[in-house]
Formats: sequence, C-alpha cells, structure tokens
Amino acid sequence: MKAYNYDVVVIGGGPSGLAVATKLAEKGYKVALIERKDELGGILDQCIHDGFGTKLFNKALSGPEFASVFINKAETLGIGIHLNTYVKNVEIRENEKEIVAISPHGIKNIKTKAIVYAVGCRERHQFEIKIGGTRPAGVYTAGMVQRLINLYGILPGKNILIVGGGDVGMIVARHLYLEGAENLLIVFPEKRFAGLPRNVQQCILDFGIPYQPQTVVKEIIGKERVEGAILVRVDEKWKPIPGTEELYPCDTIILSVGLIPYSLKLKKIGAKIDPRTKGPEINEFFETTIEGVFAVGNLVQIFDYVDDAVESALIAADGVEKYLNQEPKEKIIEFVPGKYIRALIPHRIEWKDDRNIIAFFRANIEKENAHIELRDENGNLLKRYFRRYIRPSTLERIEIPRELLQDKRQVTLNVSED
Amino acid sequence: MSSLESKVAKILKRYPYDITFEINDKIVFLYGNVEKYKEWVEIGLRIGKIKGIDGVVNKIKWRGFPEDRFKEKEERRRMLFEKNREKVIGEYDVIIIGGGIIGTAIARELSRYDIKIALLEKASDIATGASKANNGMIHPGVAPPRNTLKRKLNIRGNAMYDKWAEELGFKFKRVGSLWLITPRTLIRYKKYLPGPLYRVVLKYIFPWVVKFKGMRNGVKGIKILRGKEIFRLEPYVTKDTLAAVYVPSTGIVDSYEVTIALAENAKENGVEIHLKTEVVGFLKEKNIIKGVVTNKGVFLCKYVVNAAGIYADEIAELAGAREYTIHPRKGVELMFHKDTGGLIHHCLSELVFPSHPTSKGGGLNPTIHGNVMWGPTAVEVPDKEDTSVKREEIEFVLERYSTIIPNFPREQMIRYFAGVRAPTFTEDFIIRPAKWVKNFLHVAGIQSPGLASAPAIAEYAIDKLKAMGLELKENPLFNPRRNPIPATAEMSIEELDKRIMENPKWGNIVCTCELVSEAEIIEAINRGAYTLDAIKRRTRAGMGTCQGSYCTLKIAEILSRELGVPLNDILKEESKLFNGPVRGEAP
Repeated sequence: MKAYNYDVVVIGGGPSGLAVATKLAEKGYKVALIERKDELGGILDQCIHDGFGTKLFNKALSGPEFASVFINKAETLGIGIHLNTYVKNVEIRENEKEIVAISPHGIKNIKTKAIVYAVGCRERHQFEIKIGGTRPAGVYTAGMVQRLINLYGILPGKNILIVGGGDVGMIVARHLYLEGAENLLIVFPEKRFAGLPRNVQQCILDFGIPYQPQTVVKEIIGKERVEGAILVRVDEKWKPIPGTEELYPCDTIILSVGLIPYSLKLKKIGAKIDPRTKGPEINEFFETTIEGVFAVGNLVQIFDYVDDAVESALIAADGVEKYLNQEPKEKIIEFVPGKYIRALIPHRIEWKDDRNIIAFFRANIEKENAHIELRDENGNLLKRYFRRYIRPSTLERIEIPRELLQDKRQVTLNVSED
Repeated sequence: MSSLESKVAKILKRYPYDITFEINDKIVFLYGNVEKYKEWVEIGLRIGKIKGIDGVVNKIKWRGFPEDRFKEKEERRRMLFEKNREKVIGEYDVIIIGGGIIGTAIARELSRYDIKIALLEKASDIATGASKANNGMIHPGVAPPRNTLKRKLNIRGNAMYDKWAEELGFKFKRVGSLWLITPRTLIRYKKYLPGPLYRVVLKYIFPWVVKFKGMRNGVKGIKILRGKEIFRLEPYVTKDTLAAVYVPSTGIVDSYEVTIALAENAKENGVEIHLKTEVVGFLKEKNIIKGVVTNKGVFLCKYVVNAAGIYADEIAELAGAREYTIHPRKGVELMFHKDTGGLIHHCLSELVFPSHPTSKGGGLNPTIHGNVMWGPTAVEVPDKEDTSVKREEIEFVLERYSTIIPNFPREQMIRYFAGVRAPTFTEDFIIRPAKWVKNFLHVAGIQSPGLASAPAIAEYAIDKLKAMGLELKENPLFNPRRNPIPATAEMSIEELDKRIMENPKWGNIVCTCELVSEAEIIEAINRGAYTLDAIKRRTRAGMGTCQGSYCTLKIAEILSRELGVPLNDILKEESKLFNGPVRGEAP
C-alpha cells in the first residue's frame, strides 16, 4: 500500500476538478487530482464540437482544446496526478480525511486536509424513465454514442431514434447526421427543444433533422436488435394520449433524457443531498454539509455551460483556502427556492467574507420579461433581477451583494407573478 | 367410453366450440379452434387437472394463432436437418438438450460417472432462458400441493443447496421467508365474518392453517410470529401486519450464477458444452434415437435428456415424443438499487387469498448481491419469447407490492426484466421416460419451484436414466469443486493490494458501480464468455446504478482485444452491440 499526504485532494479530473486543482496549486497548496479514467479532461475529451469557453476565454473552443488549457497547467504546477485511480473509501475525521483508492499501481492510502468532489454526473437510462418493451441491443445513452463515434469511429446504427431534446441529444444528432446515419428522428415530451437555442439552430435546423415534439417512447420493439419503437403523443403534463400510438421502425434508440449528479458517494459519507438538484447541499463556497468536503461542477447541479461549472470550481477553491486557513464562519442564512424556482444553489450562506455571492437557479416555467425576487424571512424584498426570458432549460446566474443579507436568517428566491 | 374420456368430454362441452380429442397412453390430444388465447389456456388447464392424466397436448388453435411463424420455424428446422444429418460430430452416451439450470445440473451430476456427455444450447451462453430472469428464491416447499413431484423435489432440493453452494462456490444464503398476514389477507371472505372475528381469524387461526400446510409438506422450523417479533425481524413492514409465518429454510441465490457454476464444473469434469447449437431433429431407428441433429451436425447418442425449458414440447415433438404442451407464463421483476438492500432481510410477501390471477405469490426479495427485487407476476402469454415489460406491468408490480413496505423508495428502481416460465397443463414437473421413444427422458414443465428443486431434479433424472438402462460407473477423477471468479468488490483492501502486485489489471476498475476490475473480465473471457451480457452475468459489470452507460464501451474494448475481433463485431447477447464503422469506412 502506498501512502500519500496532501493539503487538498480533488476527486475527478474533468473540467471542474482540473479548475479547482490548478487554482489551489497556484495558491501554493499541495494538491492531488484523482481520476478514474486514464486521461484527464472528463467528458470533454469526447466533445469534439465547439462552443466551450465562450464566457471564460471569449473563444469557442472544442472540448479537448478547452480541457488542454487546464491539463497543461496541471502538469506544470506539480499537482499529484493519479490516473486510473478509483476512490473506494473515504473516511472523515476531524482535521484529517483519509482516502483509500484502487489503481493498477496498487492500493493508495491518501491523507488530506480537504477534499473536493468533482465527479460530475451520469446519464439517465431507459429504466429510469420506465420505457416499456424489450431490452435488445441498440439502446444507448447519448454520451456513450458520442464517445463511440468520436473516439472509436463506430456508428451505433443506421436508422436512429433520439429520445430527448436537450443539448446532448441535439449535438449527437448532428454527429450522427455527419457520420452516416441514414434516418434520424428526435422526439421529446416538451413543446420545444429543451436545450440551448444555439444548439437548436446549429445542430437541428441547419441540417434539417426531423423532430417530433410532445412525443415519447412507449415501448421498444425487437428481440435481439432494436426493430422499432412505439411512439405516443403526450399532453402538456406529459401524459400519453390514448390512440396516438404509432410504430416507428428503427435499429437504434439513443437516450438523452437527463443527467444525474453522481452524489451517491457523498451521501455515503454523510453529506446531505438536495432532492431537487440530486446533488449535495452546499454553502456559498461549495462546501457540503461535511466540513472540509467540497463539491463542484455537475456533481452539484447540472450546468449548461462548462464555463459555469468551472466558475463553481474557482469559487470552491477560495472556499478550500478559507477552510485550510481556518477562517471563521458566521451564522447560517438559509437559501430557499420559492415559487417557480425548480432548483437553487447555494443552499446556505455561512462564511464570513465580503465577496458577492454567486447563485445559480433554474426556473420551472417559461416567461418573458421576468422579474426574479429575493426576499427575506419576513417577505421583505431585498433585490430584483430582470431577465428578458427565463425557461427551465436555462440555468440562470445571479450575483447577490453580501451586505443585503446582513441579519437575515432566511432568504427566498422566486419568480415574480406579474 | 372410458372414464377419462367422459371427463374430458364433459369439460369440453362447456365451451361453444367444436373441439375433438383423443387419448393415447393417458395423454390427451386436443384439436379444434377457439376464439381467444385465454380459452386455449383455460381448456388445457381444466383438462390437465383431471386425475389420471399424464399430459395434455393442446393442438387447439386460437384466433390470431401465428400459423406462418410456426411453419417458418418448421421449414427452417427441416432445412437445417437435411443439411446437417450426415455431418457427425461425435458419439456420446448422453446428450442433454438445454443449458439452463436443469440441463447444467443434470450434466454436472452425470459427470460424476465415466461416460461421454454433451450439453447442447442454442444460445450464445448458458442460462439465457428462464434461468437468467429468475428472482433467485430457493423455495421452502410449503406451496406445492401434496402428491406432486414438485413438492417432493422442492423440499429435497432446498436441503441440498448448502452442499451445492459449498462445492460450486456460488453465493447462497438462507434468509428465510416472512409471510405477512394483514387485513388484506382474506378480504374476500370478510363479509362472512364480523369485524372482530375477522381479526381473530387472521391473527390466530389463519397462521396455523399456513403452518399446518407447510408441516404436512414436511417443511421444518415454521414459526408463527405476532406483534413486536415481526418488526424486530423486519422493522419497515406495514404496521397493520397482524401476524406472520416465518419459514427459515427459504434461501436466495443468483440463478444464472448457479447455472454458470454448474456448467463450469461439468465442463471441468469432461462434459462437452456446445453453445449456439440448436437441435433441429433426431435420427431414429424405430423407437430409438440414434442421433441428435443440430445446426452444427449430428451428435450420435445412446440417451437423450430433454431439458429444453420453454421449448421442451417442441423438442419432444421433433423426437416423436410429444406428451405435453408448454403454455408460457411470463413473470415481471423490478430491481432496486443496493441502497435499498438494508430495508429487507427476508423474502417478504403479503398473503392474499385467493391469490391474484396475474401475480401468484411474489413479493419483495433481497438478492444475494444486496439489491431488492419486486415481483414476479404470472401472466399467460402466447409468445414463448415475450420477455417484454410494459409500462403498465411496472406500475402493476409497484402497486401490487407497495403494501408490504409502504415507505419503500420506489424511485430507486434500476432495472426491470421478465422471464417466461415453462409450465405444462398438468402443472407438475414431468420427469419420466418418453412413452413412445425408448431412450428419451423428459425433464419438462420445470416452472417454479424449479430453481429450488434443481439439485433434486438432477438426482431424480439420473435415477430415471439408470432405470432406462444407462450404466453408470463412478468417475474416479470427478472433482466436485469449482472456484468462482474472485470478486474485487468482496476483497479486503490487503488482499486486493496483493493481487494488484501480481497482476495490475486487478487495480483497473472497469465498472465503478459494481466495482469490477479488468482482471475479472479477462477471467470471465478465459472461462468462455464472449458476449457483453455473458460478462455481465459472470462479473456483474453493468448491473449497477448506471446500467452500463459508463462501462459498456470499456468492456467491449477488452472483449475486442482479448478475443482478437474488431470492436464492431462484439455481441451483446445474440446480436452485435454496435452497427459498424462511421461512414461505412473500416477503422
């Protein structure tokens, strides 16, 4: 067994993990980065399309390009990089945390003062959305297909049904179109695509890929390989409309039906999980409910832009620094998602600091000229934000001046009715 | 008219159809047409219940009977038969048809003796029929009626599992069953009993009825529990439980793990296992089978064991030994995340009488790997391969068993699947020599509790073979032991570290949900697995939270490397996992 000792261990070598590790290394801490795969970069290594870094670098980079900025940095900063290393156990003790990890080089015993989880998310699969029918070859998640095409040069099938109108589904549709799929159809239960408008234009409309809104897959047909799917129309509440079933012949079904934070491990060590985001509850510096254990990126909640996920990591790096410096916490101000808010982070404010608080939220309605209100526990309006559009598919970012929150116990964010 | 004939005629008179029948050696053959599949099943079952009948061959057709598909199948078999009837593969003492739990159990039991055995399986792996879609329960033997072969073999089979598990190295745990008696148990009879009396019956009388039935069957250790005793064993079960019957001998296994273990041990002891080998006919001389014709060629033989599960009737037909018809009965199971494993400790069910027509019994089961399963249902389906799960069926199971543990986190479901049982109309195991073919042994109708009975079925089948004249001489080299593939997930850190030092592949975790290393996958390949699903059944890779979205590609890559075949030729089960290179270009 090999023993290691660090100030901070970052678990997960994707964009958020890389960002937090490099920033902490720049601050002078002894940092380790643990990655289960044999490469850094996370999901970005399969994202060969562009559009990454528009906020951070003012450039539309490809996934690998974006990742390489941080990977190069990580390599020059003397970060302890543990590839092919899988974290099996984490034990939390006062002022010390111990990680047991498995790697082809043997078991690693890693002691550290702080841990940042940056393990991202996973894709929802067919069984989580209760698709009926058989379970033949030819049903994949979109991320797997993206990897398959872009890294292995293999097409999953020829006549393809894509389920889900989110960004990943749209981007995969474009790849499939370019790489030789013969027939493509995208179906989704919403009235409109759930992804970013730029992807609707660049992936779907530009290539004339057919799509069918308000439709879901009722059943998969096929014994050994997918032979088709029974599609059914749904109403506004996503309830199937009887009699609208139709058979769509295809050999492949690709599911792009949502991402779920990989928070199970955090739950195991005792961190509180938010049922809305499915990620851990965090404070304004992305510390979980376990002291000295932080969570960043898509593990906390699904970000639309890698730039935002990276921002979460950079904020967390400041938090880790505060933790390591044993800076005091003040008192807890609860952060509550109010009306029309589906999810909100952070969940609480607790450090003594003077920086603005960066909050992310997702609305559960579509609204033009929307006002978002921040109110205290007595219902007093603290601040209003204006958005030209809000919609469930877009994660909104707001900054909250810290002085507004003085003496508050609880603040609520909601979308104004008017 | 004999009494059997008049009994059959009396039953058929109830139906408005022109159904004819003949009885040959206590086997009833039915002909005619009915409107609904349901009626086809019903008529068969009614006739199967007649005492003194050995089998029902139901040749009645229902409206929508897939005539063309049967013809196509027949034609295909005939073509393969003609093509392969001359190509001799080898000479054997015993040919076993079917690589499920029963076929492999018989093969392994027979490998104790110095004879030449081949097991033929049409799929790409063993255990791909009912044996892969089973809830893994080793029934105690309370349920089967008296005077059935099922009852006898169930109780004996259950008792034999400890030794099997120990020798074959599969996981087995006697978790015990807890059958809850709640206000819903006899709800249909409530109107005959005033309220307080109903409770008394449920709490004090009914448990004894169940216990007595079990005791009469010969099941030991049955206890009646009330009040706190129940909740001490199972703290989360419904609080309105009035009493519970506890049966300690119920066990759990992973049915495909058992099947794989049996096959590996049989192979180790000299049984030839031929996968992708489909029986298409028989070479016969008078009433003796001389050879089994397959898509690969002819297996010359002295004895044939028909353990073809759902296809047993078709195989019997090909051999001229059709004595029964299988009516496929589907069972749906829901699988829950390991996080829910702590919520139950026994096989739990709520006794409801009369039992539900589409889910006889069933309940909540712990799995040997720490998950929880809900189900199964029991639905008659016309298609033997109908393992589809409809959304309504998922909802049905969720609804049906939700009263057992009301607060169960139902959203933690990670998979659902269905298997098809192989009952005959007489609803008992049929293990006997064929009536009209001399060297053909039926091992058919092995439905629930077939898994629990399997060790005893194998023993019983071999006694039958002996009685048929098979001479058996002990094989001095027989080794009853088989070593399972070591599982990273079960190793201590120290042990794993040691293994990694010897072979770094133990340290390469491929499936993170179930903690499966590359070394395990390679070991499974070395033991004969060559499809993604075969790997999954042997290592659990892909069985966890993400259902393979992360590891499928990695496993396919390992398979491709180890087998020396391109990635796009890797199979899932029978079909290719992926279509092919992009833009049709070779990689």
